[in-house]
Amino acid sequence: MLRFLFRRILGSLVILVLLTVVAFLLFFGMPRDPALLMCGKTCTPDALANIHQTLGLDKSIPEQFWIFLQGLVMGRDNFPQGPCPAPCFGYSYHTNEAVWSTLIDRLPLTLSLAFGATILFLLVGLGTGLLAAWKRGTLIDKSFTAGSMVISSMQIYFLGPLALALLVYQAHLFDEPKYTSITDNPAAWFTGLLIPWAVLSTIFAAQYTRMARSAMIEQLQEEHVRTARAKGMSGRYVFFRYAWRGSLIPIITILGIDLSSLLGGAIITEYTFGLPGLGRLAVDSVQFSDLPLLLGVMLFSAAVILLCNIIVDACYALIDPRVRLS
Amino acid sequence: MTSPIDIEGGGTSVVVDGEPEPKKKPEEQQLVGRSPGQLMWIRFRRDRAGVISACVVIFFFVIGLAAPLISKLYGKNPYTVYADERPELFDSAGVPLQPNGGISGEFWFGLEPGNGYDVFTKLLYGIRNSLMISLAVTVATVVTGILLGVAAGYLGGKPDFWISRLVDFLLAFPAQLFFIASMPVVVSLFVSPRDETPVYVRVVALIAVQWVLGWMSLARILRGTTLALREREFIEAAKVSGAPPGRIIRKEILPNVVTPILVQSTYMLPNFVTAEAGLSFLGVGIVEPTPDWGQMFSKASTELVMQNDITYMFFPGISMIIFIVAFNLLGDSVRDAFDPKSER
Repeated sequence: MLRFLFRRILGSLVILVLLTVVAFLLFFGMPRDPALLMCGKTCTPDALANIHQTLGLDKSIPEQFWIFLQGLVMGRDNFPQGPCPAPCFGYSYHTNEAVWSTLIDRLPLTLSLAFGATILFLLVGLGTGLLAAWKRGTLIDKSFTAGSMVISSMQIYFLGPLALALLVYQAHLFDEPKYTSITDNPAAWFTGLLIPWAVLSTIFAAQYTRMARSAMIEQLQEEHVRTARAKGMSGRYVFFRYAWRGSLIPIITILGIDLSSLLGGAIITEYTFGLPGLGRLAVDSVQFSDLPLLLGVMLFSAAVILLCNIIVDACYALIDPRVRLS
Repeated sequence: MTSPIDIEGGGTSVVVDGEPEPKKKPEEQQLVGRSPGQLMWIRFRRDRAGVISACVVIFFFVIGLAAPLISKLYGKNPYTVYADERPELFDSAGVPLQPNGGISGEFWFGLEPGNGYDVFTKLLYGIRNSLMISLAVTVATVVTGILLGVAAGYLGGKPDFWISRLVDFLLAFPAQLFFIASMPVVVSLFVSPRDETPVYVRVVALIAVQWVLGWMSLARILRGTTLALREREFIEAAKVSGAPPGRIIRKEILPNVVTPILVQSTYMLPNFVTAEAGLSFLGVGIVEPTPDWGQMFSKASTELVMQNDITYMFFPGISMIIFIVAFNLLGDSVRDAFDPKSER
């Protein structure tokens, strides 16, 4: 297990470094002049020169990249905004704040959104999926299958505004979604995120209903399940102990992908509900062409995705004894 | 499942009632040679959900293609700002005065709050533009997926190693983030940030960024299929008889990977549609006044719409749900038709 973790972490680090190279080249190597991109339409030669100076764009690309890498590992103190300690992504061009502290600042919201929604959609999605598989062929199964098909085809950018309009603006049942730190006021934290959670988990839960149902039906036709039934075990026991365990593998695979994309910033959800998380940060930094901030968000999300992949692979071994981690 | 040959071919013996022709054995009459494509078509035709969803999908493509014609007959275009042309239809905030988003005999789907575009033509053109972009992305990713996937699977060795590493690497990218992050950069390659961006540059950039991160799943599947095919006898036979690799790939391997390509692309296209719409929703894709499906959603999520009249929201919303459901059902049916063993 330890060797597996070590190897996977090493591999992920290599990918992360390569990703840093690609992202850096994309933002600072590919545009003819990155400063011009950041400066925008109302650019004066002075402002342009200023950006060049603060971001060190006059140096060659490899040199800039080396300075950036050094900053990541050791920190830098040659910024006009002040010193920049260890994981130094530089300073945002637009807000003049350190990128790393902005990321850390936005993280709690993204974490709350991701984990709250995950708990909700796992409970609802797997529950309905199991029920549909248990009652296969009945009206319950058919209505769940049809319903999940339609709901999973909805998009957050449709369901989100619809929920906002109906629940907040028309019926006045809720306030506009708003983030309050859980340590400040747990009740406000909960009610503020309720609509985003509900919308996000509705769509995800529908996908998990379909997935859990088809995985369970597939598993119930496996031979070890048939053997268990044949030797007289109760249907319920076989269903939950044998089939359920086998169907966890595909579910965990997809869950890993979904969770990592949520943790990297549920961009459209945060944008729809105006929640200031990592995803919203990414959209804002694109709108202002704030390249240092954008680079920071991107690398952060990539690191989260890689971490999730490792955790998912480790989970396989916990669930399925046939999987050997080597 | 009963073999389709039994059912379809079995009919002939019923027709040839009474005296069978004496020279032929009955079995020979029953067996009608059918290509896999024909078998698939027969199975597909029998799948009612598949046929209906195929009709719906074709309908969307037809109205997309015929959008200019339809709007000409209808007498409006998606660029007319009715808030300026016919201010009597709107209140001071720009919301249509008539109930239900201004739906009337003149404006079938109502008027857009704000600028007052005609929703019917806007939706037609939006579907047209979104589908064209997604179709282009699908074609580009499928071609790339075939080239790299089959090459990796067939050649093996070093090419396989590097292509597989590239696939792994690109799969680690945060895709959506990469899309929105690279759009301004890719656009800036074509036009200076100081100038107005022409529409075609945005379209090209949208296609390019989705293409770069879109081909990996298909390539991975094709690599696996090709890897398995490479060891089969008929490939070996072709090799022994002196066929060059190019011919083997074209004539022996490609016909055998049509199934995963078709199935995969019917799953990919709706994903590209929603991804493209998401980008336009976030304001980094197609922007006003060019009509686009996703951009209608961003209009629908403004407070003006949410607080006053949400009718507008439903036209892009419902049409997209119908499209995605139909396409997913079609994908399932195509898969079932190709693979009679699969079970829903």
